[in-house]
Amino acid sequence: MDYAAAQLEKKHVHDVYEGTAPYFSDLQSKAWPRVRQFLQEQKPGSLIADIGCGTGKYLKVNSQVHTLGCDYCEPLVEIARSRGCEVMVCDNLNLPFRDQGFDAIISIGVIHHFSTKQRRIRAIKEMARVLVPGGQLMIYVWAMEQKNRHFEKQDVLVPWNKALCAQPLSESSQPGRRKQCGHPERSHPYHAPCSGCRCSVCFKERCDSKRSHSVDCDSVLTGTCCANISQEGEEENGFYNTLGKSFRSWFSSRSLDESTLRKQTERVRPLKNTDSWANSTISIQPSGHSSLDLDQHKPFSSGEQNLDEDVFVETPQKHLEWLRAPPTRKHLNGDHQEDTRRNRRENFLGSTITKENHVDAGNLEEGNPSASKVWRSISAVEPTDSDPRDTISVKDQQPNVLDSRAFMRYYHVFREGELCGLLKENVSELHILSSGNDHGNWCIIAEKKESCD
Amino acid sequence: MKLLTHNLLSSHVRGVGTRGFPLRLQATEVRINPVEFNPDFVARMIPKVEWAALLEAADTLHLVEVPKEPIQGYEQDETFLRKMHHVLLEVDVLEGTLQCPESGRLFPISRGIPNMLLTDEETKT
Repeated sequence: MDYAAAQLEKKHVHDVYEGTAPYFSDLQSKAWPRVRQFLQEQKPGSLIADIGCGTGKYLKVNSQVHTLGCDYCEPLVEIARSRGCEVMVCDNLNLPFRDQGFDAIISIGVIHHFSTKQRRIRAIKEMARVLVPGGQLMIYVWAMEQKNRHFEKQDVLVPWNKALCAQPLSESSQPGRRKQCGHPERSHPYHAPCSGCRCSVCFKERCDSKRSHSVDCDSVLTGTCCANISQEGEEENGFYNTLGKSFRSWFSSRSLDESTLRKQTERVRPLKNTDSWANSTISIQPSGHSSLDLDQHKPFSSGEQNLDEDVFVETPQKHLEWLRAPPTRKHLNGDHQEDTRRNRRENFLGSTITKENHVDAGNLEEGNPSASKVWRSISAVEPTDSDPRDTISVKDQQPNVLDSRAFMRYYHVFREGELCGLLKENVSELHILSSGNDHGNWCIIAEKKESCD
Repeated sequence: MKLLTHNLLSSHVRGVGTRGFPLRLQATEVRINPVEFNPDFVARMIPKVEWAALLEAADTLHLVEVPKEPIQGYEQDETFLRKMHHVLLEVDVLEGTLQCPESGRLFPISRGIPNMLLTDEETKT
């Protein structure tokens, strides 16, 4: 199965990134603020690894630390290198580092590309191995639970449409788009502090806003939101907006995990013949009711799903909630500074959160039930009933749909609690410090336990 | 590739384990890249360095003589810190190879980028 997994990842992760790398230099993807924060909080002189660094957007966030970027995709690494970053090509499953070399590691939007549970565990264990005891690991993975969108399965193939990536958005205030942002359905006045929404309404409000932005991030935000608009045509948001709310337009993949395979209703085909794999996904290609029909009139951004883009425009800061793990004795031992830092972090997020959604970190320990209630309301998913509109005959396909089939990326989207569970059950060398949801990603910060010598 | 990076690299050829460190460096093209000197930063890096591996690499590249170990009170010794700053951060291997000391497997460095990928054969478990 490992061979099949590697083949799937070669075709639907590595080859895609290699083939689409030339377009990355045009896409000015910005850093997730929460990740930047993590990096900026590392002690000066720290050695940090960004495993799956892509074009290196996190590598220069903190000039007081030494960050090494690693990626499987050579073309992406070359781009990072051309920007002056220290980078290398390597495999997350076999990190070419000595044990306990790094003070901190980030893995942002990476392990969801591994197609089996065992490989995902292996990737995490490798990162734990090269961490010093007490060092921290931050992981971001795409969440299955999305606010206004719905993944039917956890293993999906996501199209990337290269024909669209060079085309700028013609208009930014399309009604469809506005709807996606949650204007005017949602009446709360606040917007994500970071680069959430691409539509002109949000943009205006964000740029004009004098309200509740954390002082730290003001300059960052102004920079990013304006930069984002200029990049709008190349961002994925546009693609997903026009795709419509449903992820039904994305192809389901098969999980390679054996237990899931048995439950699959699809006929299992041998993966060795990757052509038949491609064919099987075409058959469940969805309708063009809103999304594909729009392709012709409204050129939109690259369909590339990249976690570091703010694809989910209608998911405002409600998602920026961090649940702190119940404090262990270690943490209660007067680590006030750490707590203050966390509170400040929470406040940064909280300042733009409406009352109903603000979860006070301090209440979490006792208020866990309410916290999980909040999660549920955020992650409400659409029903999975199949929609007759979803079936499409081949002749209705738009030409660019053919392109999108050429570069489909595999993702295993994570359920709530899955990432935590994965660590708790399989990576005992790591202790979870905090976890949460950020812009449609499940995130975790874990610490390598001190060795028990 | 900087020597600080080299200091972290280890061969992960199957079965090699800890005997895969340090990788034997061979360089055909080296460039000196000026980097802003930050004494505090360098001082904090020193304890993280595997010194013997650094000595070996610096020697291969015929660099300034690196002391056999961090000198006493190095945190305040600017001459020492500047030397280490140069060796760790300013020397950039553009073309060369990294060799696994145990298996002999060669990993290339091209355009400053080490490629540590193993073939499918080599990673089969």
